[in-house]
Amino acid sequence: MKILIIGAGQVGTTIVEALHETHDVTVLDVDAGRLTAIANRYDVTTRTGNGASRRTLQETGVRSVDLLICCTSRDEVNIIAAILSKKIAPETKTIVRTTNVEYLEAWHERQLDVDFIVSSELETAHAVSRIIGVPAARQTDVFADGQVQIVEFDIDPVSAENGRGSPLAAALKAGHGAEARRGDVIGRPLRDARIPRNSKVASIIRGHQMIVPRGDATIQVGDRIIVIGSPESAREWSELLAPDTRRVDDVVIYGCGRIGTAVARVLLEQNIRVRMIESSRERALEVAEELPKARIYNSTGIDPDFLERERIGAARAAIFAMRDDAKNHYAATLAKLYGVNFTIAIVHDAVSIGVFERAGIDVAINPREVTAEEIVRHAHDPRTRQVAMLEGDRYEILDVVVRDRSKLVNRPFRDLPMTGSLIGAIVRNGRAVIPHGDDMLQPGDRVIIFTEARRAAEVEAAL
Amino acid sequence: MINVARLRRAARRETIGVDVGAALNLVAAIVKYASLALLVPTAVAIGYGEPPWPFVLTGAVGVTGGWTLERATRGKEHVGAREGFLVVSLSWLLVGALGALPYLLSGEEQLTRPVDAFFESMSGFTTTGASVVTDVPELSRSLLMWRQFSQWLGGMGIIVLALAVLPRLRVGGRQLFESEAPGPEVGFTERVRDTARRLWILYVALTLLLIGVLLLLRGAGAERSMGVYDAVAHAFATLPIGGFSTRERGVAEFGPATHWTLALFMFLAGVNFALLFVALVRRRVAPLLRDQEFRLYVALLAVASLVLAAILASTDVHEGEAAVRHGVFQAVSIMTTTGFASADFAAWGALAAVALVGLMFLGGSAGSTAGSIKVVRHLLIGRMLRRELDQTVHPEVVYPVRLNGRMIDERTLRAVIVFVLLYIGLFAVGALAITVDSALAGADVSPFEAVAASAATLGNVGPSFGSAGPMGSYADFSPFSKLVMIALMWLGRLEIIPIAVLFTKNYWRA
Repeated sequence: MKILIIGAGQVGTTIVEALHETHDVTVLDVDAGRLTAIANRYDVTTRTGNGASRRTLQETGVRSVDLLICCTSRDEVNIIAAILSKKIAPETKTIVRTTNVEYLEAWHERQLDVDFIVSSELETAHAVSRIIGVPAARQTDVFADGQVQIVEFDIDPVSAENGRGSPLAAALKAGHGAEARRGDVIGRPLRDARIPRNSKVASIIRGHQMIVPRGDATIQVGDRIIVIGSPESAREWSELLAPDTRRVDDVVIYGCGRIGTAVARVLLEQNIRVRMIESSRERALEVAEELPKARIYNSTGIDPDFLERERIGAARAAIFAMRDDAKNHYAATLAKLYGVNFTIAIVHDAVSIGVFERAGIDVAINPREVTAEEIVRHAHDPRTRQVAMLEGDRYEILDVVVRDRSKLVNRPFRDLPMTGSLIGAIVRNGRAVIPHGDDMLQPGDRVIIFTEARRAAEVEAAL
Repeated sequence: MINVARLRRAARRETIGVDVGAALNLVAAIVKYASLALLVPTAVAIGYGEPPWPFVLTGAVGVTGGWTLERATRGKEHVGAREGFLVVSLSWLLVGALGALPYLLSGEEQLTRPVDAFFESMSGFTTTGASVVTDVPELSRSLLMWRQFSQWLGGMGIIVLALAVLPRLRVGGRQLFESEAPGPEVGFTERVRDTARRLWILYVALTLLLIGVLLLLRGAGAERSMGVYDAVAHAFATLPIGGFSTRERGVAEFGPATHWTLALFMFLAGVNFALLFVALVRRRVAPLLRDQEFRLYVALLAVASLVLAAILASTDVHEGEAAVRHGVFQAVSIMTTTGFASADFAAWGALAAVALVGLMFLGGSAGSTAGSIKVVRHLLIGRMLRRELDQTVHPEVVYPVRLNGRMIDERTLRAVIVFVLLYIGLFAVGALAITVDSALAGADVSPFEAVAASAATLGNVGPSFGSAGPMGSYADFSPFSKLVMIALMWLGRLEIIPIAVLFTKNYWRA
């Protein structure tokens, strides 16, 4: 596949690193120095020029390219480059990196002629929320801007140690917990089970067998289950299945930058209490206006009086999203001293990851890396609508918008003919619904479908 | 009052930063057009065979006076933001003075003293509804209608009317509008002229609707004592939240159906007109129902109604339906600062009196015709208090004060605090002045009555307690007390600040 990458920064470099061996990669950037650095390390073609210029795009041969990845640090350049190339070469798939959630929304409403958009902030936020949102989960995937989660759980025997859990689960060990509630879902037919609201069991994996469950199926100890539902329900599942793991319900975020704000927004949606610390008074006010549910402090966050007075140490987890890695490092270490159990640092310089790990910070997330990973995931398979694969490639999760002319529209769910696939969630007017038998599909709905891989094309066509 | 000659002299010594000529020019134009309002009582007088000449003469004085002043200040048509305060303050004073002329010229015995006539006129235009007339039915029908009509004009505002009508206010009207519009920061993004027009259309439509409903009640036999004249007259006093009546015992003469109708319309008139317009005309009720001020307004009214009804029922003043009706009616009437009385509330006892005086400080919604402090200011003050308490414990916390989810900037918040402080301060000064003066003049006014009178006039409520109760009048007060109350009504209607700035040195400096 021929791939053109616009932008040779950290994201671009990570993408090049992942793709250069298997694909024919060209990198375009305005900064010749960066290109030299890339050309010295990887076997790729490099071009100097402005990606948002029509002539440069034409000269670089965008017409012959299969995939265009726009990942400069400037949103508008990325979008213009993608839109221009759509006009010049309609066949070329485009992936755009953006830092602005508003562009993402516009894209969802099909107002941006781009095949796929990745938002660094949102990806990072979801990465954080995956770590602290559902501590008992084996794996979590987030869809529809975080409104729908698909979570894999292992049904462990209660007595067993949570060895397989995340580092957070270990950090949050909470002695005794109610075990009775597990009986509500385990070992009884699903139709009788007390499943958390707004969720569905999408699949039960028993040994090598994978079951799309009906009402008479049961979840048994030793199973691995896949649950689809709202973030809140995912947390309920987590509590249900691992009652000895305390939920994270109080988080402190250092830094009200765009990443910090995006993380806060995602966590607030899950009804987690969020406190934020920002040293710039102006920015603090802005964010306070934007996020009425968060509590914002105007402080450096390293003042002992402040930490003591506001009981920062009582928070279950702290996220360090300030602009400066060194500051994050210091603040995280201080927060640990004050009693914060679990620390997540947002890293800007790739080198810092090692430093943070050495310093005992529990998780370090590099937003550029997260973004690059997401882009690479889509680059590998240009069928961009397919959003995730489970259990090898036997099952897929699709994220599809229902067309006006679909035959499935306006019919109650229980009458729909599809077998072997399950509509896990509907996103209608920006709100996620976990459908029941009486619900109906409407044109323009975004549906998250869990389906057998071989039926994926059929399902897409039907919608 | 501002002495023009003295200002001129001052101007020679120090350059003066306010274009007084331009301001006077606009005031003159407004007075000139406002004189046209006298056509209404003139028509009524002719219709009832009463002498129309007091109104004709007043109209002539207004038009020629306005025209002359306009000529004298010709060539100075540009009114800037700074002149706005002067224009608004002066217009209201002059229109009030002009409106007093018919009372004087009519030879009506109860209004022969200029102070009394001015009091009655200002009480009308500021929609206060306080009266010095002891025997209302003695007044001629045309004079009574002028009293009612002055409230109707004053309710929506002389400036708003001018904005809607005068083409020359196409520029710079916003400042004027905001000086006169009740409540803090209206924040209109639309053209002021359109807004002004829309408000007037709604105002006229609601007035006509009330007249229609009142006539229907009469047609259906639910109200026997109300004629067409009374229906129009009371609609003119309800929508502007005025409170004048044409009857000897006021609204108390009417039956339950009329009381409920008037209560409903007073309630509506106390709602933000911009939201009411969207709800009634555009049929989008959600913005109104979601409005936090509206919710608090309704909640406060409900609590006040309950409390009053409970007091009435427990003290056996009224029973059953009457207790509920009078409780609700008086809560709405006093809180929205209308001042109608469905019963003699001055005779309800101390508990009810204290509750009612308390209600006088609430007021209706911002952007309504109601007076007093207004619900939104109470709301914001409450939120600021909460913030202060929060920040006392958590000094670093950033706590934006919000209204309907939107952050209110600190300047506006400061203005709210300053307004409430000024309001309370003026109330106290007014109460003191009236108390002391009444004592010196030997008027039969108790300190509580003086305090209540200050609250009732500053809040543009109208009737108070004691001899100035709903069945009495303000006639017993001394002339000086009346002047104080005229000032209070004027300040209350224009929400103090536009007038207060005129008394600062820096307003006049270049």
